[in-house]
Amino acid sequence: MRVHLFSTCLVDTFFPETGEAVVKLLRHFGAEIHYPKGQTCCGKPPDSAGYAKYARDAAKQFLTVFEGTDPIVVPSGSCASMIKNHYPRMFDDDPSMREKAEQAAARTFELSQFLVHRLAAHEADLSSRGKITYHSSCQLARELGVKREPLLLLESLRGAEFVEMPNFDRCCGFGGTFMGKLPEISMAMADDKAEAIVATQADTVTGCDHGCLMNIRDALRRRGANVQVKHMADLLAEGL
Amino acid sequence: MNPTIDLFMQNAPRVGAHAIFAENREQLASTLLNILADEESVYFPCISDLEKTLAAGCPRRVNDYFGATATVEEATAAIAETGTIVSTSAKGRPVQATLLPAHHVALVSRTNVFQTVDDFFASCMDPLPANITLITGPSRTADIELTLTVGVHGPKRVDIIVF
Amino acid sequence: MSTLRDRMDFRQNAADAVKDASLRRTMRTATDVFATMRTRGLNSLPIDTWRDEASAIRQTILDDLLAYLDQFTAAATKAGAVVHRARDAESARETIFHILKDRGVRKIVKSKSMVTEEIELNPYLEHRGMSVVETDLGEYIVQLAGEPPSHILAPALHMNRKQVGRLFAEKLGVEYSEDPEVLTRIARDVLRKEFLAADAGISGANLAVAETGSLVIFTNEGNGRMVTTLPKLHVAVFTIEKLIPSLRELPTFIRLLPRSATGQPLSSYMSVVTGTRKAEETCGAQELHIVLLDNGRTGILAGEYREILKCIRCSACINVCPVYRVIGGHAYGSTYPGPMGIVLTNLLEGIDKSHPLLDASTLCGACVDVCPVRVPLTDLIRRLRERRVTEGLTPMAERAEMAAFGLVAGSPALFDFAQRVSRLSWPLLEMLSGPGTLERLPRPVKDTFRRRMS
Repeated sequence: MRVHLFSTCLVDTFFPETGEAVVKLLRHFGAEIHYPKGQTCCGKPPDSAGYAKYARDAAKQFLTVFEGTDPIVVPSGSCASMIKNHYPRMFDDDPSMREKAEQAAARTFELSQFLVHRLAAHEADLSSRGKITYHSSCQLARELGVKREPLLLLESLRGAEFVEMPNFDRCCGFGGTFMGKLPEISMAMADDKAEAIVATQADTVTGCDHGCLMNIRDALRRRGANVQVKHMADLLAEGL
Repeated sequence: MNPTIDLFMQNAPRVGAHAIFAENREQLASTLLNILADEESVYFPCISDLEKTLAAGCPRRVNDYFGATATVEEATAAIAETGTIVSTSAKGRPVQATLLPAHHVALVSRTNVFQTVDDFFASCMDPLPANITLITGPSRTADIELTLTVGVHGPKRVDIIVF
Repeated sequence: MSTLRDRMDFRQNAADAVKDASLRRTMRTATDVFATMRTRGLNSLPIDTWRDEASAIRQTILDDLLAYLDQFTAAATKAGAVVHRARDAESARETIFHILKDRGVRKIVKSKSMVTEEIELNPYLEHRGMSVVETDLGEYIVQLAGEPPSHILAPALHMNRKQVGRLFAEKLGVEYSEDPEVLTRIARDVLRKEFLAADAGISGANLAVAETGSLVIFTNEGNGRMVTTLPKLHVAVFTIEKLIPSLRELPTFIRLLPRSATGQPLSSYMSVVTGTRKAEETCGAQELHIVLLDNGRTGILAGEYREILKCIRCSACINVCPVYRVIGGHAYGSTYPGPMGIVLTNLLEGIDKSHPLLDASTLCGACVDVCPVRVPLTDLIRRLRERRVTEGLTPMAERAEMAAFGLVAGSPALFDFAQRVSRLSWPLLEMLSGPGTLERLPRPVKDTFRRRMS
């Protein structure tokens, strides 16, 4: 099968190795990858901040570049949710764009969602090592309803032990522009998340969104905790 | 006992009230005597025949609920779904009588036990009394550090006899 | 008199709250307790069906509010109440004051009503020689402390038992104790005297029933029952959108409101008050004055954010909000904190005077998950942020950044260029943005993913 890969601006700019991990994973399961060159950003930061026009500009670019029928795979819950849940409503006043948005929404998958439902990766005897805990990012869980899939993947890892952290689905305080606008609150929220992680005595914390993971990594660094922070794609690809 | 009453008897303790089923009038009277054993002064509204009869047989009864340590009242209804008893101001019932003393004893006829809150409100007829109060357990607060304390402005102890 | 902090200083107020270790500890415990109670209370119940019903019922009211208000007024009047309509805070205060003054009222007992906080009723009456005693334990505590409530259900949530113990010792002259049982008993004794001596009771209403003209009041302590039945005069104040059509809809809210608030299936007491003492009745208020307050609600109803008016003030959203958990209620500088507070405050007070609160959310959606009447809170916050932009209230630097973003996101070539520019100018950006922000982020890489894929 062929998939369209939307790397997301965070992966593109800061974490290209995650993009490579996604490619490696998808190819391992026999998928052929098409990476539309004109992709930029899904538009979530301006959308959340109230700049609807600029969000629409980003969305239009996405919808133009990602036209087609193949599944679109996204290694980010917040970006995938932006496309699936928010793009359609952004074009309420533009029926043809709305149509495109709905078509794209129907084909879009967050990575762990795709791995489990289309590739049965949780039954593929993947492996890892050490004690792993999981942060459930907000749009992933609450807007996309992706709660079980990451856990299925983690629990299936041969050689690793999964441990649940307290309040694993409580917001970490990233919130996109929130991190920059209200850093005091953001850091306090991240500190509480870091405390929960440290309490599990895990070697690694993983999640499906680099935004959250950046914020968590910073909080763990500030407290001098020796816990690795890895995106789900990197974690799974390592074991291949 | 029928399922509705069974449900009520299960739910009342869950909300902090004590519930006893009395098979007949004799059991009702003796149960009541046990419950009131340590009470110094007991108020009965003496509006229903049952209240009048029970009051006559109570040595420590008083005529005023202000300052009484317990009130015994025949409740209008009970609701099984929530373990609730219903007290109203109809027929001249003094609503504060079940509020001011620290111990509230409610008597409710098995024919007045409703399955759900919906059933109870469907039975309410126009015109409504000035006050209908649903009483679900003793009075409580968690306003200090979310620590539960029982017995604030209302009763600390609620006993219910279903007869 | 307790004053609210300035909402325009929200970031600083929040930063101060974050540094208050005692507040952090108290809030952490409180929200964990709420979470546990809520999970327990909702276990295996068809909550989503109930929420759909409740949302539909509230929407029905909003779709025909004026008609329902008229129906309520007629029914309540028939039952013996006098119904007043107050357009705004000032007219509500005056109306209430005159009702009390004309009857020579000096001592008033109050059960909790957020709307009376909203209109700042207590100081108004106190300045005119009346004594107002709050009887909800949490309200009584903050009244003694001279502070505003920090939560709409548990007003003293921000205080721990030691603080309450010291407060009682200082203000009531009792021996210091930090045992909640002892403190509650002290308050019970003090307040019972007040109940019995009061000339009038003032309450709010959780809901009002249009068909029967009834008020519905949920309490756990019994103070609501005291306030509405002991004094001869009862004044009830609530906002116009608090209606439900009839008693048939009440059970849905009986099942949802206490559970959403504290996880309890039902609060200890629920009073349905319908007018004044009837012919054969022997107690209860002889006079009932109901003040229906608008204070901006019809304005909100006519606008695009009207769904906030479905809110039944259960506090579920506040209890789960991860931001509220860290900063507490006072930092919001508003009668209403947390998610519903962000929305309602901006609509009542104006975005120009409240917009920093719009940032107090990561749009995490925990509130949307728990709201019993399905108010689309994150949607409303985002749309109010859009309004803030169109009204030109955002900083120029931010507008410029977002405009640049729009350009860059629309063009891959510009996007690639912007990535290179940001990487090269990172040291400069770090210097300009000051400590704390950029160092929390990684650096842009030279070998971006799009480069590797081309």
